[in-house]
Amino acid sequence: MALVNLQNVTYKYPLTKTPALQNINLQIKEGEFVAVVGANGAGKSTLCYTLAGFAPHFFKGEMSGSIEVAGKESSKSTLDEWVLNVGLAFQNPFNQISGAKYTVFEEIAFGLENIGVPRDEMKDRVNDALALTGITDLADRSPYSLSGGQQQRVALTSILVMQPKLLVLDEPTSQMDPIGTREVFSVIRKMAEGGMTVVMVEHKMEWIAQFADRVIALKDGSILLEGKPGEVLTSDVLAENGFGISRYTSTAREAKKQGLWKKEKLPVTLDEAVEGFKK
Amino acid sequence: MHERLSFHIKRDSVLHRLNPLTKLTLVLALIMVAFTSPWYWTPHLLFLFVIIPLSFIGKVFREFFFAATRLILPAAGFLFLMQAFFQPIGEHVIFKFYFLDITQESLMFAFKNAMRVIVMVSSFTLFLLTTHPSELMSDLTRRGLPGQFAYVIISTLQILPQIQSKSQTIISAQRSRGLDTEGNFFKRAGSLVPLVGPLVFGSLVEVEERAIAIEARGFTSKSIKTSLYEIADTSFEKIIRWGLIIIIILSIVLNIWL
Ligand SMILES: Nc1ncnc2c1ncn2[C@@H]1O[C@H](COP(=O)(O)OP(=O)(O)OP(=O)(O)O)[C@@H](O)[C@H]1O
Ligand SMILES: [Mg+2]
Repeated sequence: MALVNLQNVTYKYPLTKTPALQNINLQIKEGEFVAVVGANGAGKSTLCYTLAGFAPHFFKGEMSGSIEVAGKESSKSTLDEWVLNVGLAFQNPFNQISGAKYTVFEEIAFGLENIGVPRDEMKDRVNDALALTGITDLADRSPYSLSGGQQQRVALTSILVMQPKLLVLDEPTSQMDPIGTREVFSVIRKMAEGGMTVVMVEHKMEWIAQFADRVIALKDGSILLEGKPGEVLTSDVLAENGFGISRYTSTAREAKKQGLWKKEKLPVTLDEAVEGFKK
Repeated sequence: MHERLSFHIKRDSVLHRLNPLTKLTLVLALIMVAFTSPWYWTPHLLFLFVIIPLSFIGKVFREFFFAATRLILPAAGFLFLMQAFFQPIGEHVIFKFYFLDITQESLMFAFKNAMRVIVMVSSFTLFLLTTHPSELMSDLTRRGLPGQFAYVIISTLQILPQIQSKSQTIISAQRSRGLDTEGNFFKRAGSLVPLVGPLVFGSLVEVEERAIAIEARGFTSKSIKTSLYEIADTSFEKIIRWGLIIIIILSIVLNIWL
């Protein structure tokens, strides 16, 4: 059974004329890792807010269609119930620091305090989450003294520790270096294998190709393409619609025109490109 | 950057281990007694024989001394001078300076008032030095202070230095785009206008994002909140608190009576 089920979802922010999401139909299985790509303004963040219940519960505006996560219907739930099932982390890490805590450890415990987790269990869960994302050594630092990439890890850890059924991440690695990005992707992959369902907005195509199960390409609030990363990210439709594509894909596409790329399928990652050019 | 945003000094002492509410009651008692006691030397004695010894018990004498000499004494000294000069009481003139004269009475009055202020500020400083803000807030929320209220207080305390450093960033950014923030007063005042936009609008967007972020972490959850810290409270401390409250009441009653 699908954990996430969106049927004909259309959403308009208050005081706007054109919908930010239009007729979205989407089913996601439990434990699936779905990546979302699209240009600026395509509606990626709006999709995240919709899954996490903030549209319409927080932003108001007009929502139609049905949004179901873990057997519950968004329109029949309140936001504070909804966030127990769906965790959200977004791009700007600075604004995700609660501002009420003095150390990273306390910051990560904040959500657990709010939902009333007993103290001993809370400490264990915070320690496990810190170890999982590799920031145990930051535990006693002030969250404000960290670098952008470190703050993003704290933001991710703060939401992972709540153990949501559905994890929604809106560009969670935008301030991270390649090593940090790789680590975050592997952590998220591991969570998905452990049964957590993940929806992640991301621009880094090579990482998506390696780690995600499925890619959704959004354009002007609608789903343009959807499928396996290797197929969606190399599709001509994507290139024609001005999506950012991996440099290996565009190189190979040019090479193919010149007859230098022999394979049918275009590469997304370096390894695939090397493999293809060898033949 | 802002590694230390609170005054709290982490040490192990009896004072640190006291329940925050007990310490808060103690602070209140010291202030109330200093201000209402009918006996002239009360604030002086409280400072010498209660507050200074407490700073040793709390193992924060050095930090306390530092704060006292740099902050509290200059402020109290200023207050002392103002009141000594401008308080039109008494006849025994000791010192004359044009139309200003210091009388023995105004001197005594100023000394007492300055000492009261010293007691107030220094007991509060001692409280901040030995109490972790998160612990204070957890304890007060546990006792029924609304979570939102505690959040507003503590996040304001933390966010003020952030705003300050951000306005500095915006100024530098605007300057690098050719904005003139130097020159005469009117020019400078005029050049502040382009700073207001990013600071205010930026803050609004930030407030919205922060609201989403804390909401996503169950801030408005209806379940009973728990706390990372175990905040000890003994029945002995409860007795101390009641004792302090009785002292406060006594002092007020004596003040009205005498
Ligand atoms: N709070 C809001 N109020 C009104 N309109 C909004 C709001 N947030 C976004 N929009 C509009 O909704 C549309 C989709 O925006 P959204 O933020 O979802 O795009 P995005 O794909 O996340 O873009 P980006 O890559 O820049 O993050 C845009 O046209 C945007 O202007
Ligand atoms: Mg976005």
